[in-house]
Amino acid sequence: MSTIAIISSFADDTRCAQAIEELRAAQVGDFNTFSPIPSHKIEHAIGRPKSPVRWLVLVGGITGVLTGLAITIGTTYEWRLNAGGKPLLSWPPFIVICFELMVLLGGIFGFFGVLMLSGVPTTESAPGYDGRFGEDRFGIVVRCDEAQAARVESMLKESGAEEVVREDEAQPR
Amino acid sequence: MAAAPKIPFEPSYRDIDRSVLRVMEPAGPAYWAWIGLCFTLVAIAAALWVRQIYTGLGVTGLRQPVMWAIYITNFVFWVGIAHSGTLISAILFLFRTKWRTAVYRAAETMTIFAVATAGLFPLVHLGRVWFFYWLLPYPNERYLQPDFRSPLVWDAFAVSTYLTISALFWTMGLIPDIANAREAATGWRKKFYTVLAMGWQGTDRQWRHYSMAYLLMAGLATPLVISVHSVVSWDFAMAINPGWHSTIFAPYFVAGAIFSGVAMVITLLIPMRKLLGIEDLLTEWHFDNLAKVVLLTSLVVSYAYITEAFMTWYAGDPIEQMTFHMRYFGPWGWMYWVMVSCNCVIPLLLFSPRIRVNMRALWIITIFVNIGMWFERFVIIAGSLTANFDPSQWGSYRPSVTEIMITVGSFAWFLGLFSLFSRFLPIISMTELKEGIVWLRKALKMDRVKAA
Repeated sequence: MSTIAIISSFADDTRCAQAIEELRAAQVGDFNTFSPIPSHKIEHAIGRPKSPVRWLVLVGGITGVLTGLAITIGTTYEWRLNAGGKPLLSWPPFIVICFELMVLLGGIFGFFGVLMLSGVPTTESAPGYDGRFGEDRFGIVVRCDEAQAARVESMLKESGAEEVVREDEAQPR
Repeated sequence: MAAAPKIPFEPSYRDIDRSVLRVMEPAGPAYWAWIGLCFTLVAIAAALWVRQIYTGLGVTGLRQPVMWAIYITNFVFWVGIAHSGTLISAILFLFRTKWRTAVYRAAETMTIFAVATAGLFPLVHLGRVWFFYWLLPYPNERYLQPDFRSPLVWDAFAVSTYLTISALFWTMGLIPDIANAREAATGWRKKFYTVLAMGWQGTDRQWRHYSMAYLLMAGLATPLVISVHSVVSWDFAMAINPGWHSTIFAPYFVAGAIFSGVAMVITLLIPMRKLLGIEDLLTEWHFDNLAKVVLLTSLVVSYAYITEAFMTWYAGDPIEQMTFHMRYFGPWGWMYWVMVSCNCVIPLLLFSPRIRVNMRALWIITIFVNIGMWFERFVIIAGSLTANFDPSQWGSYRPSVTEIMITVGSFAWFLGLFSLFSRFLPIISMTELKEGIVWLRKALKMDRVKAA
């Protein structure tokens, strides 16, 4: 049986989140959502685990601290400069370098982590994407069997969708 | 550009998009004349810098003992200006401040261009600029390495980290807005925004990672703001020079940076909202709140001036006291009193709620703050160098035309870049304004009820 995509749009995230909860409860097909803003309601309704980008930031931060220690200690030993008889390794100034590199690499890992995990850059358009979803509409695209399509459409309409169309009927904008 | 339509009493997401995207429509000749003026001044400054590189630092007013003067003043001033962007975008984001959404993009853009301007000055200040990379640890043939106990090396790490993190934070915030602009654009702009948006479509998967990363990067940027200007202050405080060797410098510089940065945000935003016709997005409520930040930081800075004077008197060090006496009553004493008037006295007017929402008065006050903060850096840097422990090393300083024109060029560079950005990329975050639409509606109601 062929899989079809049903595209629906909502005026607000409350109704969109409600529709997602119902779709999840009914276990019909898989779905993707689009929204113009990051919405906590939609995020809670979808119920996906927390983003792994936080681990990437942690790895970046730790790498930064270790790099900071390596370059400060390593270069100090390489160029042994006796400044007023003070200890060769003076930790307080090294903390500044370690901190800066922790923030630097944590931020770089976070930024590129978002791009990697979000699948950008890409030239491909996600199925069912509509320019209105970047402006003021919240969208759900459900991919399901043809047999379930009618049920999904009625569920979306009952949840308050303004528009429900099958992919082949959608007008490009 | 067409006349700005008034946005409705209860704006929708679409109203926000229309108002912001209208700003990005092709600009008129006056705009291009302004850009031309800015970059002509930059070209003059660049030519003078080339001459300085060719003939040496003798073309500047830098002489023993004043080897740091206007160039380093500009560096500290521009790094300070940069701080408000990260304050507004990161610190106020973590505090969930409601009014930040309308002003954060402009403030962050200001941060990027201010750090890019600041970063030029250590290079401009160098006699042999082609050796600028000596501050970086790299495997060179004689095993020579930079001294990590030197605040100048910390500074290179801090400022370059600040520029990188601010640019990443700013780019990340821009991606959803550029994707939105892509949908509305036509012609070459459509291609331009399509490339910059990198295929962003606002799926739940994208937003989930975006929100988490944004929060974490705000968390990383917050201590970074504190650290960068503390490190800049340590460039001075770690030296034993009278007038510099002070434990109060780090908090005092951080407060001063936020003070000058927020004042600069207001100085830029007041004419911008008028010229670009976005009065309905940047309301009096936003300026009232920004003005309160200026007032608060002005009080902190004033307290720091008093503490500094008290510590000098109480410590009883005659050389330190002589330096401060010179600072207050010496040949450059007038600069100190201009600084006190601009930074401590004039901002007190902001205690009046009517002045905080009077755009003309607020604009003039913030210009005074900018002037005062530039003088503050000059008084600390050049003023303290003129006299140290050994009277045989006392000297004076007079800025040369080269230094003055390069300073003017830095302002033109900053304003030119900011003006270019404001017409080609969204200067107000549509995404964040939509997220906080409830607060925009409340602000508009307050404004219009007051006007009626």
